[in-house]
Amino acid sequence: MKICKAVVALGLLAGLLLASTAQAQQFNWQQFKGTQLRVLLNKHPWQAAIEPHLKDFETLTGIKLITEVYPEDQFRAKVLVELTSGASSIDVFMTMPAQEGLKYMRADWYQPVDEFLKDPSLTAPDYNWNDFLDKTREAMVIEGKLIGPPVQVENVSLMYRKDVFQKYGVKVPTTLDEMEAAAKALNGKPMTDDGQPGFGIVNRGKRAAATSMFAGMLYAMGGSWLTPDREPAINSEEAIKAIDMWGRLLRLYGPPGSENNHWYEASSIFSQGKAAMYTDANSLWPVIEDAQKSKVIGKVGYALFPRGPKGQYGSTVAVWGLGMPKTAKNQKAAWLFMQWATNKDQVFKVQTEKGVLGCRDAVWKDPKGKAKVPADLAESLAQGSKVGTPFWNPPVVAVAEVRDAVGAAIVTSIQGGDVKAAANKAAADMKRIMAETEKK
Amino acid sequence: MTTNSRSLPPPARSSSGWALFIERHPVLVFTSPATVVVFILMVFPVFYTVYMSLHSWFASSVTAPEFIGLANFKRAFTQDERFRNAVWLTLYFTVLATAMQVVLGVALALLLNRPFRGKGFFRSIFLLPMVATPVAIALVWMMMYNPTLGVMNYLVGLVGLGPFKWVSDVRLVIPALAVVDTWEWTPLITLITLAGLATLPLEPYESALIDGATPAQMFWRITLPLLRPTIMVALLFRSIDCLKTFDIIYVMTAGGPGFASETLNVYTFQVGLFYFHIGYACSLLVILFALVLGVSLVLIKVRRGSW
Repeated sequence: MKICKAVVALGLLAGLLLASTAQAQQFNWQQFKGTQLRVLLNKHPWQAAIEPHLKDFETLTGIKLITEVYPEDQFRAKVLVELTSGASSIDVFMTMPAQEGLKYMRADWYQPVDEFLKDPSLTAPDYNWNDFLDKTREAMVIEGKLIGPPVQVENVSLMYRKDVFQKYGVKVPTTLDEMEAAAKALNGKPMTDDGQPGFGIVNRGKRAAATSMFAGMLYAMGGSWLTPDREPAINSEEAIKAIDMWGRLLRLYGPPGSENNHWYEASSIFSQGKAAMYTDANSLWPVIEDAQKSKVIGKVGYALFPRGPKGQYGSTVAVWGLGMPKTAKNQKAAWLFMQWATNKDQVFKVQTEKGVLGCRDAVWKDPKGKAKVPADLAESLAQGSKVGTPFWNPPVVAVAEVRDAVGAAIVTSIQGGDVKAAANKAAADMKRIMAETEKK
Repeated sequence: MTTNSRSLPPPARSSSGWALFIERHPVLVFTSPATVVVFILMVFPVFYTVYMSLHSWFASSVTAPEFIGLANFKRAFTQDERFRNAVWLTLYFTVLATAMQVVLGVALALLLNRPFRGKGFFRSIFLLPMVATPVAIALVWMMMYNPTLGVMNYLVGLVGLGPFKWVSDVRLVIPALAVVDTWEWTPLITLITLAGLATLPLEPYESALIDGATPAQMFWRITLPLLRPTIMVALLFRSIDCLKTFDIIYVMTAGGPGFASETLNVYTFQVGLFYFHIGYACSLLVILFALVLGVSLVLIKVRRGSW
């Protein structure tokens, strides 16, 4: 105990010293006063939550913001076209590194921000980069370079009917085997007031759409998309087991026609009370708890994606973040904006006001910070984002094409086809696609 | 006003060069706006597509299009399984959908051509599907085809069949989509056939009646042969449309399950706008164009009776 106290005392002293030095060289937010930043935002809960606060940034820094907001499809197209032209005037844009990161990095469109982050004249002493949940930081690094801070995170996680599990005395699964056993035990049991039988589990099964959630099972099984030397690993023993299980669960204990289910269909089956379990992004919780449409409000538990045979975690860590193009004219001012938008105060505000799933540990530890979301969701999200994998997408340039190739194998598995052959074909396709699109 | 009027050109005299030119070549001058628009929006893109089809271009600013001759076509025909699958599905869908539509459409037209009460009303009702928005239709059918909640399984259940997985079943998905297309477009064939029926001469029927022909004989020997050119026109329209059907397929299955309903058009869309292989997508479009052209030429020949 004495040692503890001593450590605390030392810590306090160090803190005081740091605080005084920080006060001595007060961080200069006004250093780029008078510049203008063009910020492109995707229509998204984070954008909706941060927009009312943007004028605070303008007051603090004297930098003028010109923001443009587009719906997701148009937003992606707009950014792509502007960056392709090579004459973009964008200073900051929202980016999803696992989706477009490698393509943009190989095209040399991102301005890495490592140098800005290290520079004490550009980064406020209280920014505390290490406060971001471990894997959300990792998710913003592409080929060793940090492209910006994350603004929102989601994981593939297990959503389950607390009432159904309790009624039939089934243990909430923490491993893949337990999940299969639970699906088997609960399939066909009545789950709604009208006594109609429900399904054991519902998941996405639509070709490319399924892959981002299947990633959870792939990593829990101990598999991965690529080997360390970037060869396709989708036909490894572990990956084949994962593809087989994803399909088997849906074939035996899921709704018929899963092959065409995207999250809209899957989440609606679950929120109508017709399935006991659903593994998808935990950011879907507002859909599951929708007061107007859902029949399972308050009955759903949120847990980590079940762990694999060797205890591997399957949580995927999918982040939206901020990035700046190489062509940005005011890069240092842009970094100030990125930093301000993701400092603890702003993250706290967007999370407490609008329930945005932020990436800062300190905010998740704060009781006020997690008040807007279900308690078990807050807990599983913070944990999953520390231990999961940022590779919810294959880390390749041609993401969409590779997702289709892997998705085809998943569909084959749902239909009870030859999984091994399908996985081998997916691997061969991946190899060809990568060779075509990643010429050095 | 004064400054403005000063900058105006002097009133044209018929002797000035321009006016003379317009007077002499009115056709050339007055059609030129339309010609320019057609050239920019239609002729140029077609040739540019053909030009791009000879290139390899993975869209991004760092790699410029690279000329590779006919390699894209070679790849499509010799290596690309998804392409072969897509061509087969396109033809399968087209034959199935147009066959159903022509049979039903002509039958409906014959029915509606008889005098009965409320004829106009029923005609209008039968033509309604054609005016609905394809995407909305697709979404409604998607609900009807839902294996657990949809009405289709209930309906086939009444006659002791099913339940089917419909658009989630690899074998049923194309027929199921063809049914949707048939539901929407049969009225077009009915409409065209009705117009054809209205122009048929009465004399052959009169002489047939005098010769004691049965109604069936009159249909097979007189009505159908006389209607042939009309039906061929309808068939031509529908087969061209079916070959390039995109909306209902993309909305309902996006080519799934797996690739079981990925027609050439859906595949090309995927290759061009999701995978960004612009050159290869262009060559697929050229092939689709050739396919549509080929089918049209055959049908036109058949219509003229030269085959």
